[in-house]
Amino acid sequence: MTSTQTTPAAATPTAKQRKQNTGGGHADANPAKAGWATKLVLAILCVLWIVPIFGTFVTSFRPLDDANSTGWWNVFTHPGDLGHLTLDNYQRAIDGSNMGADMINSLAIALPATFIPILVAAFAAYAFTFMEFWGRDFLFLAIVSLLVVPNYVAFVPLLKIYRDLNLNGTFAAVWLAHIGFGMSLAIYILRNYMATLPKTVIESAKIDGASHFQTFFKLILPMSVPALASFAIFQFLWVWNDLLVALLFIGPGENEPVTIGLTHLKQQLGQGWELTTAGAFITMLLPIAVFLGLQRFFIRGLTAGAVKG
Amino acid sequence: MLAKALTALITVAIGIGGAMLVYYLLNKIAELLPERWEDRIKPYLYILPAFLAISVYLIYPAVLTVINSFKDRFSRNWVGTQNYSDLLSSPAFRDTLLNTLLWILIVPAVTVILGLLVATLADRLEPSGEKLAKTIIFLPMAISMVGAATIWRFVYYAAPAGQSQIGLQNALLGVFGKDPVAWLQQSQFHLNSLLLMVVLLWSQIGFSMVLLSAAVKGVPVDTLEAARIDGAGERQIFFRVVVPQIKGTIITVFITVTIGVMKIFDIVYVMTNGNFNTNVLGNEFYNQFSTNFNSGAAAAIVVMLMLAVIPIMWYQVRHFKAEEANA
Amino acid sequence: MRIPVKKSTSLLGVVALAAGLTLTACGGSDGGSGSDSSTVTIWSSVDQPVQDGLLKALESKVSGDGIKIEWKKVENINQLIMTKIQAGDTPDIAFIPQPGVVKDMASLDAIQPLDDVVSQADKDSMVPGTLEAGTVDGKLYGLLVSANVKGLIFYPKKAWEAAGYPTSVESIDDLNALTEQIKSDGNTPWCMGIESDTATGWPATDWFETLVAKYGGVDEYNSWVSHDTPFDSDVVRQAADEFSTLLFTEGNVLGGQEAIASTNFGTAGNPMFDKKGPGCWMYNQGSFITGFFPKDIVANLDDEVGVFGFPPATAGGDNPIIGGGDMATLLNDSDNAKKVLAALAATDIGNDAAPSSSFISPHKDFDASLYPNDLTRSYAEVISGTTAFLFDGSDQMPGEVGAGTFWKDMTAWISGQEDLDTALSNIDASWPSS
Repeated sequence: MTSTQTTPAAATPTAKQRKQNTGGGHADANPAKAGWATKLVLAILCVLWIVPIFGTFVTSFRPLDDANSTGWWNVFTHPGDLGHLTLDNYQRAIDGSNMGADMINSLAIALPATFIPILVAAFAAYAFTFMEFWGRDFLFLAIVSLLVVPNYVAFVPLLKIYRDLNLNGTFAAVWLAHIGFGMSLAIYILRNYMATLPKTVIESAKIDGASHFQTFFKLILPMSVPALASFAIFQFLWVWNDLLVALLFIGPGENEPVTIGLTHLKQQLGQGWELTTAGAFITMLLPIAVFLGLQRFFIRGLTAGAVKG
Repeated sequence: MLAKALTALITVAIGIGGAMLVYYLLNKIAELLPERWEDRIKPYLYILPAFLAISVYLIYPAVLTVINSFKDRFSRNWVGTQNYSDLLSSPAFRDTLLNTLLWILIVPAVTVILGLLVATLADRLEPSGEKLAKTIIFLPMAISMVGAATIWRFVYYAAPAGQSQIGLQNALLGVFGKDPVAWLQQSQFHLNSLLLMVVLLWSQIGFSMVLLSAAVKGVPVDTLEAARIDGAGERQIFFRVVVPQIKGTIITVFITVTIGVMKIFDIVYVMTNGNFNTNVLGNEFYNQFSTNFNSGAAAAIVVMLMLAVIPIMWYQVRHFKAEEANA
Repeated sequence: MRIPVKKSTSLLGVVALAAGLTLTACGGSDGGSGSDSSTVTIWSSVDQPVQDGLLKALESKVSGDGIKIEWKKVENINQLIMTKIQAGDTPDIAFIPQPGVVKDMASLDAIQPLDDVVSQADKDSMVPGTLEAGTVDGKLYGLLVSANVKGLIFYPKKAWEAAGYPTSVESIDDLNALTEQIKSDGNTPWCMGIESDTATGWPATDWFETLVAKYGGVDEYNSWVSHDTPFDSDVVRQAADEFSTLLFTEGNVLGGQEAIASTNFGTAGNPMFDKKGPGCWMYNQGSFITGFFPKDIVANLDDEVGVFGFPPATAGGDNPIIGGGDMATLLNDSDNAKKVLAALAATDIGNDAAPSSSFISPHKDFDASLYPNDLTRSYAEVISGTTAFLFDGSDQMPGEVGAGTFWKDMTAWISGQEDLDTALSNIDASWPSS
């Protein structure tokens, strides 16, 4: 049930089909259509998923005393409460947290910390999937097993290394940390995805005289786009929402990301959570945009010709 | 602000450009070698940057951790296996192990099933509907754990009876004239642990949905159509055609989630901090590490996790072997 | 056969690498320990208005010496500082809220003794007991800069006066009688909540500390804090007894005993100010709790809120108080850092913070007219008038207990998941041996 079914020419239809699909209007046609049961199940799930967020979203527009004393649904059941709704929480969150500059910092951290590990992991995954070398399986398993080690154990040794290199407080300090911490999962996901690509593609490329470097950039990367996009979404999200790594390696100050900026709004015993919530909704927008943007890579046919194993 | 944005942009360009350059140079180096050596060395050069990163950020700290697990709280003096015996002899720790096991048994399976369900069903909707459904399921992933704790507070919170309820579940109970229930304290049948798992599922289904969705889309249409021509029903197609073809991704997701759940801590930490018999290993590790400043005990917990992951890896090896044999 | 790679990419790469090296070389110098620059870095978790006020006063004191202050507000300083110390990357001065952490820092040789840094006059003006909290092995390592008071019983002033309840209580017996009186009027005497996210249970430990201090006195309290007196002891059991009399008795607490562990400490007192009349009448908390009250109450604190101190065991008897605060510690023995710390020890360092924040000075001779309202003045009087300021006991205990089992087993006891014997013996068992 694996690549045996694929013909050596598999690579060519991939490219063709992709062109067709991205060009055509209804690229994503699944032969199966949704019945009412499908729609109902999805509708129920979506409602369950969104209600808690929606409630908090409504709360973020309510004055703190209202939020503490009555449920958010009162806005709808007691129309009097509707008049209390205010942008005050948002206003204070933006003013109090230095949000503009912090957003730029967050981007400056998140973009390389997303892109670089993907590049690095993709090369490694390519080697683990398509190249033969001594110790391959052992190294791969070691990498995956290390997923279970919590990041925390690395903090103290890393801070020491960074201190010696004078890296603490720089963007590079967090990039490298996120590259390191995200690497195991990235290699694991990409390697397992690449394993489902037909080996015959590589072999035919080799016959055509392509080097590994070319095969990687011209064949494997384009064919792995769904996996790359998936991981990019996650990694961007994790880095964007990360507080701990940023706090330890950058700390509060001029290079601080939004997550640290938002903690300035909170006081010692937890007062000010309503501002952090409002701030969190603002900072959520970008990861959602990334998700929506990268969703166009989840299109049927992008990997057609590659048979899953 | 503009200057700042510009500096940031330049820094980003340097970082990304530098990374590209490293590979270009590595490849060049390999090509300078005689052909026979080039093929032998190249794989190692390709995995070198990844391996360097992992060595510094994971292997080196992991080795230190194993060593520290035999040392005292500030990692100064050797204490033998005392950290292990102290932990294992505490009844609270045994409850913690049991709870962790419960999470491992329930969460990965449900994550895969729900993620697959959403990925498959949404695939059948119109593109706009599919996008909407997936975005909603994905939404919680974009929320930090602290944000999620605030959100679920408005679901589980119990105010004293007679006071106005701000928690959704207790407000619903109130509609039926029932007294509020302190949900997170209900430890019979581990109800509160299950409620915490709901929060994790809510926030992480997006992960399995995204990966599985990519896999489902990769199933060649012709295999589906062939099955349909043979008269197979949708359910049969799903289990006989789709599932076997995305089995690799299912296993990937299952193992990733399992390992993630083994060290899960943030949800438990922010919602109950292990009170009411909801403690798990990850939270215990975090408290030993960050509250008690006992790096010895914290390290011992990590070593136990590393040992526990071995059976999972053994399964993974077997899966590889089977895969290779099939190829 | 090789297909040549385009030249342009490689050129870009070389530039990038060169630039990257420069970036790394000149990047990031934290004002860390060892350096004797003119900038002194301070980390704290104190609330922003307090920090702003202290910074203003501090700058006016040290700018003459050419010292610049870089004051950063960080979250969770206890954890951050321990990590940073082990990594050797620290600020010059850190404000630590937990004496237990100061002790750990001292045992790691990360902080300098302050005995010669702080002037004798400034030490003498400190409220009795405040120096002891920061003293390790006879040396002063942590100097209390801003304080708070615990064991204050707040009540809704207007309704309270209308009902004719007493505005001061002389003994614990009187408090029990008052509780009965309020209940017999058909009201609920106590507001109570110990839920606090990751720190659930701490308000219960404050209750216990207050009761142990009142019943046992200073020596017994200190002996309990250092575990010479175990949790399973007469004085702790006496405290537990009174705790359960006041709070577990049917009808004494809003929502009943079951609601205590699930009610948030920050909002637990708010029913006192319900429009339809108080849902509960007394709330025993720290001075900081007024910040959680509804906005219209905070706007009129002196008219809306009354307060009396938790009474002594017997009328007129020994009456120590429990409090907390942030202690300045010195991580760098440079002259400038020492100058800054000495400035922080002065009584008038709080002159700018007091009028605009919840700041309370730990100095006896602080000008009380600077506080923003009578309520704050009344806490300050409680502090400066006391014979013994006892630092929050759970903050002094090792983390395993003070931020671990003491919180957790009290929570389990209150929520009915453990009996008292189990809770006390669990806490005793968790005390670290070394």
